[in-house]
Parts: sequence; structure tokens; C-alpha cells
Amino acid sequence: MEEQGRRGNVITVFSTASAVGKTLVAINMAAELARLGYRVCLVDLDLQFGDVCNYLHLVPERTIADAQQAAASNAEAFDAMQFLDVYKCDEISFSVMAAPLRIDEAYNMSASAVQHILQRLQFRFDFVVADTTSAFSEMNLMIMDMSTIITFLGIVDFIPTIKNMKIGCDTIRSLGYENGKIRLVLNRSNSKTKIDLEDVENILGEPFYHVLPNDFGAAWDATMAGVPLVRNADTALARDLRALVARYTNLEVADESSQNNGMSWFKRIFN
Amino acid sequence: MDYQVILVENNRLMLERLSSVIRGTSGFSLAARYQQAGDALGQSAMFKPNIILLDIDEKGNLGLVPEFASAFPGAAILCISSHWDAKESDQIAQAGAKGYLVKPFSSEELTEAVQTFSKSGMAQGSEVLAFFSPKGKSGKTTLIANLAMSLAARSGEPVGIIDADLQFGDMAVFFNLEPKSTIVEATRDVKFLSPITLNPYFMAVPEAENIRVLCGTKKPEFAEMVEIAPFEDLVRMAQSLFRYVLIDLPPGFNPISVASAELADTTYVVAMVGGGFEVLHMKRALDVFKAWPDYEQRVKTIFTRVSPCTEKERELLEQELGYPVSSIIPNEYLLVSAAANSGRMAVDVQPDTPLSKNINRLSKDIMGRRIQWGAP
Ligand SMILES: Nc1ncnc2c1ncn2[C@@H]1O[C@H](COP(=O)(O)OP(=O)(O)OP(=O)(O)O)[C@@H](O)[C@H]1O
Ligand SMILES: [Mg+2]
Repeated sequence: MEEQGRRGNVITVFSTASAVGKTLVAINMAAELARLGYRVCLVDLDLQFGDVCNYLHLVPERTIADAQQAAASNAEAFDAMQFLDVYKCDEISFSVMAAPLRIDEAYNMSASAVQHILQRLQFRFDFVVADTTSAFSEMNLMIMDMSTIITFLGIVDFIPTIKNMKIGCDTIRSLGYENGKIRLVLNRSNSKTKIDLEDVENILGEPFYHVLPNDFGAAWDATMAGVPLVRNADTALARDLRALVARYTNLEVADESSQNNGMSWFKRIFN
Repeated sequence: MDYQVILVENNRLMLERLSSVIRGTSGFSLAARYQQAGDALGQSAMFKPNIILLDIDEKGNLGLVPEFASAFPGAAILCISSHWDAKESDQIAQAGAKGYLVKPFSSEELTEAVQTFSKSGMAQGSEVLAFFSPKGKSGKTTLIANLAMSLAARSGEPVGIIDADLQFGDMAVFFNLEPKSTIVEATRDVKFLSPITLNPYFMAVPEAENIRVLCGTKKPEFAEMVEIAPFEDLVRMAQSLFRYVLIDLPPGFNPISVASAELADTTYVVAMVGGGFEVLHMKRALDVFKAWPDYEQRVKTIFTRVSPCTEKERELLEQELGYPVSSIIPNEYLLVSAAANSGRMAVDVQPDTPLSKNINRLSKDIMGRRIQWGAP
């Protein structure tokens, strides 16, 4: 029997370039939502080379692959809650569904099985936060369809990355989602680059919804310690991560009106 | 003076048809034609041929290639056949033929074939090098583009790059190319192509005449139009054109990266140092390749953005990984991004940097272990 009732939010963190901070942002969103008192489950959908447990120093006992297997062998008795690990740090606590331990398990996961598992989790959590890979795979298209909000993360470093961000934005838009569903977030702002933000926003055709600063030291320390940045509000990066989550939970709605005009050399190469 | 062409074709109608193509091609003269290879072998010397078109659909003719080669050392032997076959093409290259042409051919195809194959001959003992990375942002596109420049410059032989990073391939941007055709069209058409007709699907690189690039898809949704079996045919066919075929792959294990690694003579697993978990990811990837009995020969590893880029650092990485590290590439972020932003290659821009030195060393290694076909 299909479960009835209230289903929680799904927040996906996606990008079309790698190493732009999806995992860092996904972890901190989950942690911040948990800190605010929501029931949160972070799901690692970077199935082959997921970093969630690496960054959180978790050694998972069960993974999403075990969940898929259990659901396949006995759908009636399947309980997704049994395949979660718990992350705890100070007053922050949230569940984690870990990526498979073995690559062959990861390779053989199906999008529909994952969808089924995530739907079960939606009944138990206020927020399911999904970390992804940088590709329009069947898995990622499935999770984007399911999502309440897609955080589309980008960085501005050099032209190939921006080209891929542009292509990614256009592709997501072509999926026909409502405007408010996709939120463009710029990560690692102010990092070494000669490229102007406004030029990038012009190319993408919309301003960034939120901007996160570059702070290599804070990011590195948090990863090495296995803790989320938002535990303390002692860095600008942590504060801006908290602010992003606040906007998602509607605790605080800021007005963004960073518009601009004027074309540059930079825009032309994309025309 | 015109090329003096000997045509050997068993089928009378095809003989007529090809004869008139050759006669109608400027720069080519039909010196003599035969239905039997034996007649050609015994009687052609009279005409001082410099091109011999030999029909290999006729049984036994393929075996005569070495005899033709030694009887007419001044002539290029181009085999003609009604279809292209990867295995056969390998055999004829070893036997001493210069190239391969699918019949019936047009004047343009004949001219193109002679131009292409007269430069280098059909690449012999062509090697396929696949570049695999566990995660994205490994630095491998930079590596491949610069390595291709180095291989082409040092060996003087043709190098082909296939951008099989299907959704987000960057090779066109790196070389500043505007592709007229991509991997999508090449795999779609491959069953109707031969090396000569495949060649134009690769884009020429203005700065490096020995390099050609088959660019990636223009939009991510085109990725699924690239099917594995035709892709494999494409790679094999490209081996007739290029001494080295370098394949850029999407991150992780997926049908295209797995197929490429299986086809390749060498698979380089590439990861960028930085996040703290790259050795772990590399280990996981190697565990998968270890299923191959000969993985130690076929799988090599490269770390990029290594700092300091020293032998000691390489050894440390090797220890941590528990597997040989073939090459380390230094952190030249600003140089590389400036080069990529301007569509030029770093090794081209600045030949004396540590980056160029390490890439040149890698290309020397690759050339050093080249397979030698038939002693000269
Ligand atoms: N705002 C930031 N400032 C500084 N460093 C950051 C920031 N965000 C992320 N990083 C660092 O960038 C690196 C890549 O981040 P992360 O692993 O989260 O990216 P990802 O998008 O998940 O990558 P992948 O596609 O490989 O899974 C990490 O070393 C991380 O610590
Ligand atoms: Mg990640």
C-alpha cells in the first residue's frame, strides 16, 4: 500500500561543473536546517565517488545500495529508516543516507529505485537534501523532477566552467520547471579571477539568487575536522550559508535587485 | 607531373567505373589497369607507378601486399574495398600498404586519400590513450590538450583527440574551435565512413597542423545520441588516421568511459590534488580496473596540480596510493586558465615552465614505449 499524508521538501544541490562546492553546500544546508530544528535527511547521490561521509567523517554501516536491495527483495516490509546513519555534532543532528561502498553497487543503482526510497524518506523528514554529480544523468533528472527547490551552484573561474554553467542553466530551463524552483547560487565569490560577475549574470540571463564567499581556510578546516561550517557563525561563509537556508525556510526574505546592462567582450563568445 | 596510377580491380564494371573516376581526377593519370593482381605484379614496372590501387575484396590479394610493396618501393599502395574493416585495416598497414579507400570512390575522396596518407602513411601501430577521472575537475582536458601538442611536435606524427566527455566536453573551447561536426555526427555516420571520409569530422587545429580534434556534443541532451558500438568503430577507424588517439572521458564509470578504457592501450586515471580525498577516489577507481589481469601494464595514474611538484612528492603520492604514479603535473592555474581563456595551449605559450617540462617528459615516455611494426 502506498503511504498517504504529508511529504517533506526535497532540496537538490546541483551543478554542471565539478568541484564547485555541491557537497559542502549540501552538508551545510542539512546541518543548518537541523540546527533550526527540522527533521533532515542528507542523501548522497554522488553514488560512485560520494564525499558526504568523507567530509563528515562518518563510517556508514548501511548504504543506499542496501536500501535498494531490501526494497527489491521485499517491498512490503521495506523501511527506508533502517538504512540511515546519524550525524551528530553539538546540538546538530541529522540523518544521512550514504553512497554505496562499492563502485559496482553504485553502477547498478537505478533511478526508479532511488526515487522510491526518497519518496519513503519524504514522509519522515521535513527536508530531504540531495547531493549530486555534475551531469544530466537519469538519476539527476529524476531527483530534479522530485525536488521542491534546485540549488544550481556555480563558480566563476574560467571560461570552460562558465560555458558549462550557461549550458546547464539553459538545459534546466528547458525542463519546464516553475521559475521559483531553480535558484542560482554563486559559490567561491571573490576567488582569483578577472571575470566580471555582471557579465556572467548577463550571460546566464538572470542574477544570482545568493552569493557565497570564497574561504578556503574555513572550508578546509571544517572538512578536516568533519564538522559543518554553520555550527558557528564565526566566518562570513558560515553566516552566508545560514542566510541562504533562512531564505529557503522563509524566515527572512531579502530583496534581490542586482540588475545591470551592457554587453562586453565576454558575452560575445557565447553568442 | 601527374600521379601514375595502377588500378587492380577484379569486377569488370567496377573497373570501368573507377577508371573513369581516376581519369577525371586532376593530377592523376591512369597508367594501366588489370583485373588480375598477378598481371599487375608482373607487368606494371613498365609504367613507373607511384600509386597502386589494389582491390582486396578479391581473395588472395591482401596476401600480395608485401610483394607489391617490395616490387614497387616507389609506389604507395592503397587498398580498396567495398567496406571498411578495422581488423583488415590493421593487417594491411602491417603488410606495408599506405592506406585504405572504400569503393566506389569519388575524385575528391581519391585526392583526399592520397593527401592524407602520403604525409604519414596509414598510422601504424596506432595507440589509443584514454583519460579517465573518478571525479570531474581533474585537470585532464588541460593535460590532454597540452600532451597532444607535445606528442605532435616531438614525434612529427598525426595526433587525434576525441572529446567523449559527452555532456560537458571542453576541448573545443581549449583549442578555440567552432566545430562543424561533432562526435554525435561521427558516430551517427560511422557505418558509412572510411578513415578518409571520417577525417573531415575532426577539426583541424590552426596552431598545430598535426593535431585534429573530434569535438564533444553541443548540448548535454545530445549525449544520449552517442551509442557505444558505433563509438568503438569510430575509435578503431581513427587509428588508421592517427599515430596517437587521445580520448577525453566524462568523470566516473559509465558506458562510454568503460568502453574506452577497454579499447585503449593505456588508460590514465587522472585526479587533481586539493580536496583531500583524491587518493581515496583514485584507489576506488583502481580497484575496479584491477579486474583486468594485465591492469598493471594498461592502467597508469597521473596527479595534477601537485605542489611542490617534486620527485619526493610523487613518491609520497605513490606510497599513499600503493600504486605507481606515472606522472605529476604542477599547479599552473593562472597560466592554464589564461591559456584556456585565450584558446591557446600552455605548452605552446610558455615552453619553459614546469608544466611544459612535465608534459614533455610524459610524451617522451609514451613515445619511448611505442610499438614498432616491421623493422625498416
Ligand atoms: N565557499 C568556499 N570557499 C572555499 N572553498 C570551498 C568553498 N566551497 C567549497 N570549497 C572547497 O572546494 C572543494 C570542492 O568542494 P565540494 O567537494 O563540495 O564540491 P563538489 O561540487 O561536491 O565536487 P564534486 O563535483 O567533485 O563532487 C572542496 O575542497 C571544498 O572544501
Ligand atoms: Mg561532491
